[in-house]
Amino acid sequence: MNNTAMNQTDCPEVKVPFPVFFTVGIVSLAENLLVVVAVIRTRNLHSPMYCFMCSLAAFNTIASLSKTWENLMIVFADVGHLKKRGPTETDLDDVMDSLLCMSFVGSISSFLAIAVDRYITIFHALRYHNIMTMQRTGAILGLIWTLCAVLAVLMVKFSDSYFIIICFIVFFIISLAAICFLYVYMFMMARIHARNIARRWGSNMRGALTLTILFGAFVVCWAPFFVHLIIIMVCPLNPYCECYRSLFQLHVVLMMSHALIDPAIYAFRMAELRHTFRKRLFCLKWKL
Amino acid sequence: MISIPGLYNRFDMSDFHNRSQVSARRSDYIWQYEYYDDEEPVSFDGLKAHRYSIVIGFWVGLAVFVIFMFFVLTLLTKTGGPHQENPDSVEKHQRPEGRLVEINGHLEENDKAFSRPLLEGSRSYFNFYISEEDQAQEKQKPEDKKRSTKVIAGRHLCSSEIDEMDEDNEESGGHQPLNGLTENSMTDRECAFMSHFNIPNFVNLDQSSTLGEDDLLYEPSVVLERQSQAYNAHRDTH
Repeated sequence: MNNTAMNQTDCPEVKVPFPVFFTVGIVSLAENLLVVVAVIRTRNLHSPMYCFMCSLAAFNTIASLSKTWENLMIVFADVGHLKKRGPTETDLDDVMDSLLCMSFVGSISSFLAIAVDRYITIFHALRYHNIMTMQRTGAILGLIWTLCAVLAVLMVKFSDSYFIIICFIVFFIISLAAICFLYVYMFMMARIHARNIARRWGSNMRGALTLTILFGAFVVCWAPFFVHLIIIMVCPLNPYCECYRSLFQLHVVLMMSHALIDPAIYAFRMAELRHTFRKRLFCLKWKL
Repeated sequence: MISIPGLYNRFDMSDFHNRSQVSARRSDYIWQYEYYDDEEPVSFDGLKAHRYSIVIGFWVGLAVFVIFMFFVLTLLTKTGGPHQENPDSVEKHQRPEGRLVEINGHLEENDKAFSRPLLEGSRSYFNFYISEEDQAQEKQKPEDKKRSTKVIAGRHLCSSEIDEMDEDNEESGGHQPLNGLTENSMTDRECAFMSHFNIPNFVNLDQSSTLGEDDLLYEPSVVLERQSQAYNAHRDTH
């Protein structure tokens, strides 16, 4: 391999302009922060389901924050205000990477927790209060956050090891499968029950559409990045793989946009949360 | 050492020229993959397929997967899934009136707080929990009993198909103490969840629904509206 051909790649890296990154980052930050604050400050919303959604929104907030900060640093580095390989910059890079990893793992864990919570709500409805107490919810959330923090530090410290990347990918696939199974099972049982009452095409289609959106958004936003990780391990020298890798920034934007649409899919569909928002906005208007 | 490849190419461009003598072994390549664009110029000669074929293949596969999932879900709505036979065979043995009577019987025994189980096959399981809940209720205070009844009723509000439950819920909704706000929010949340998550939204029915089942059916959206109004009235006064 000669070095003179290094500029002849036919798949140049696709660069996403910084305003796009910033817009997506800031809007998703605002949305998720709103959800977090609303759930924490409203006593009515201190229930397991809302706690899990708050945790999801918190992870998304961290992701948006760290990504926006990283982009700021890149902008400054390009302009020349920051050294590209200085020690503080590399340390900051590591911190941001850890935060990103933590938020990715945390988002996936929160999705899993929400799916399990919905499953228990539907299929163990009578015992839901006994199964999902607030103490248990707190314990589960504590476990998720601790695990994510530990995993994040490990992943960044040992990021050059195959093993960590494989673990990451395996974790993603297992969570995907679990979430898919839970939701499809819930959907199937609900449809069976619905069939016994009446056949209504409209509502069934709505349910199918909801599930598709829920699951489809998750897969579409997360899969490209994970395929990127797989491709790095499997075929780093292949030209086709290189063309896939050149779209890295697009895939990162996709992941950030998932943090953007998460509140719309999960949190803002809950009537109670929307009602809380409306009430607070109304109170704010009154005060102003 | 970086963890997100690609993003740092622009950081390493300047360093690459100093390291151009380093030969790229595969293991080095993996560990220092921030150099992949520069140190390993991938030759694009003699590509048989389009160079973005993996990208296109990936996205087409993803789109097919999502659409396939959607069609599978809609198919499930038509066929009802693998447990189709059990509910149908149960239905054959019971007329609607009979079913209403049976559920009425349940209601009388179990304090009017239960609907048909979600799984036909788990009826005994369900009854077990009904009686368990009854025993639990007897030990609780009246407030708690009302609260848990309302919770159970509220939870099944969205899945019920019986007019009596509607009345019960309205009564319990009207008598709901303000200090049961958590449970209030729970039931309202449940109903909101059910209606908005749309998973067990099997009770969204028109007035002009199928023949012979009008006796069992009611408009849960109307009940939800009433209940949420009652709840909102409570919350506003709180």
